[in-house]
Amino acid sequence: MATTVLIVDDHPSFRSVARMLLETEGYEVIGEAPDGEAALTLAAELRPDVVLLDLGLPGIDGFEVARRLPAGPAIVLVSSRDARDIGPLSEPVKGFIAKGDLSGDALREVLA
Amino acid sequence: MKLRAQLWLVGTASAALGVLAVVANATSDHGQLRGLNTALGTLIGAAFVVTGLYAWSRRPENRVGKLMVATGAAWALSGLSQANAPLLFSIGLLLSPLYIVFVTWLVFVFPDGRVESRLARWLLIAGFVDVFVIYGVAVLLDIDTSYINGRVPDNVFAVAHAPGVANIFGNTSAGIGAVIVAGIVVLAVRRRRTASAVVRHAGGPVLSTGLVCLTAVSISLAVGSSGVSDLAHGIVSSVALLAFLALPFAYLIGLLRTHYARAGAISGILGALSDRAALRDALAEALGDPTLRLVYSSGGRWLDRDGHAVELPQRGVTRVEREGECIGAILHDPALDDDPQLVEAVAAAAALALENERLEAELRARVAELQESRSKLIEVSMAERRSLERDLHDGAQQRLVALSVQVGLAKRRLHSDPAGAEELLDRAGGELKLALEELRELARGIHPAILTDRGLSPALQALIDRVPLEVDLADAPSERLPAPVEAAAYFVVAESLTNVAKYAKAGHAYVSVQRRNGHAIVEVRDDGVGGADPQAGTGLRGLAERLTIIDGRLDVVSPPGHGTTVRAEIPCA
Repeated sequence: MATTVLIVDDHPSFRSVARMLLETEGYEVIGEAPDGEAALTLAAELRPDVVLLDLGLPGIDGFEVARRLPAGPAIVLVSSRDARDIGPLSEPVKGFIAKGDLSGDALREVLA
Repeated sequence: MKLRAQLWLVGTASAALGVLAVVANATSDHGQLRGLNTALGTLIGAAFVVTGLYAWSRRPENRVGKLMVATGAAWALSGLSQANAPLLFSIGLLLSPLYIVFVTWLVFVFPDGRVESRLARWLLIAGFVDVFVIYGVAVLLDIDTSYINGRVPDNVFAVAHAPGVANIFGNTSAGIGAVIVAGIVVLAVRRRRTASAVVRHAGGPVLSTGLVCLTAVSISLAVGSSGVSDLAHGIVSSVALLAFLALPFAYLIGLLRTHYARAGAISGILGALSDRAALRDALAEALGDPTLRLVYSSGGRWLDRDGHAVELPQRGVTRVEREGECIGAILHDPALDDDPQLVEAVAAAAALALENERLEAELRARVAELQESRSKLIEVSMAERRSLERDLHDGAQQRLVALSVQVGLAKRRLHSDPAGAEELLDRAGGELKLALEELRELARGIHPAILTDRGLSPALQALIDRVPLEVDLADAPSERLPAPVEAAAYFVVAESLTNVAKYAKAGHAYVSVQRRNGHAIVEVRDDGVGGADPQAGTGLRGLAERLTIIDGRLDVVSPPGHGTTVRAEIPCA
């Protein structure tokens, strides 16, 4: 059974290519959210295996959304900045992928 | 009526009344110690009237002079009670306590002439009611005058002969008078305690003498109305009379003291300044006002010593001029407004030093402004960097990220799904074009190359060509202006036109840049909906801040329904 993913990003172009990429790589994208509020609602409703969460969201930022998400899904932060701009990560965040490096393999590596 | 005419009229009338009182005293059939009474009465009346007229002429707006004249005149009226003619005797009898009300009023309001306490005002009104109504009834009922030795004339105002009842009214009037005067004494003491140092100093001799006089008058009235002791009544009445006599002289002593103080103040200031003492302290000491402050005039503003802008109060302000130009002002206790010559003389003596301090204050203000604009410069620059980072992150960076993912995906599909890969590469090409356009736009926003290469006029034309709006470039200098001026003018037009396109719902806009009086005047006008609030958005506010850094200014006029005019003045030598 495919790993289910919720994509949270305020840029529709990224949501669109990320969906295409992940679906090509065997993931099932079950939802997209443009901001933190929608992400919290959809995560509770859809119960995805992974939340691909952009850091620079309007309103509540990615770190705060990660803190408020219900326990269960693995949270993977993404950003157009690279890891050097992000700093150390802590629970409940599972890992970080720079948007330019996003691929099925990269996600699998973080989830492993 | 002019002041001089008023003084002559009042002076002549008072003199005539005085002569009448002197004659009445000197020829009295029922007066005691005629010679002494005549001399003393004349001295008291004349001293009050002459001193009052002098005070009135010096400070026409201050009620003290008028009250002194009124006290002297009322005293002369009371002297008519010594007349042999029944009508004059009766007038004197009826008005004999009136001077007490006037002197009470005088002592309370000294030295500024104002009655600010509502209770005091009511007490003074009650004093007049007591004299004219209660004591008036006693006279109408033929108050007992049998205590006066000799042949007493008839009371022509008597409508009934009831001396018993009349005396009750007379004693009641005296008792009420005692309470009123005692009340005023308490209020005057309290007023003096809370008064400023200037008021306490100016009112010193008169207030002390006046309070002794009123206290003795109050006791005398109380003792007289109770009829307990003729001896006690005689003693306190004498004290009251002596203090009453001393009042005008106390005023003159105070005046002399002020004159000496003025001369001393000026020489004190000159001495203090030569010692390079602080000007404010020297002036405060000279004027006896520790609350005194100095402000300096600079470019239509008032600055304090540290160069901070200040507002002038309504009262207690004396402007200082030097060579016809207002260089500053002394903010002092409003009580000193009553003696403007003193403050002006002191100010004139200090003008040169004030001019020096003004220059220092201007310098401090300039330094403060420079520090502020430096902070603003840093703030504006930080805000621009944040905005640039945000624009890059949200624009070109996002497109390049998407492009990178799409190219990666296309590469993976190249063999398995060539048609899908081609479609992805098409989309990637579109993203690339958009990213390039956004980067160009961003670069233009940072600093348009055309502005550096070809100057303001071509840069504005290029800007106008890109705006989705009909815009007239009415004026633009053909010559090159200093680079900061060109940049500031360009961004005023760019930001304004962006706002017009976004919010104004305008059909037409008009742009002009003119050089006038050492300034570049930039104007952007539109025929849109108006109602723009320059404080609401960051764009215009940021622009205004950038302009203040180069001593420029930005004005926005935007009445609802009548379009918007943005006008910038940029110094341009």
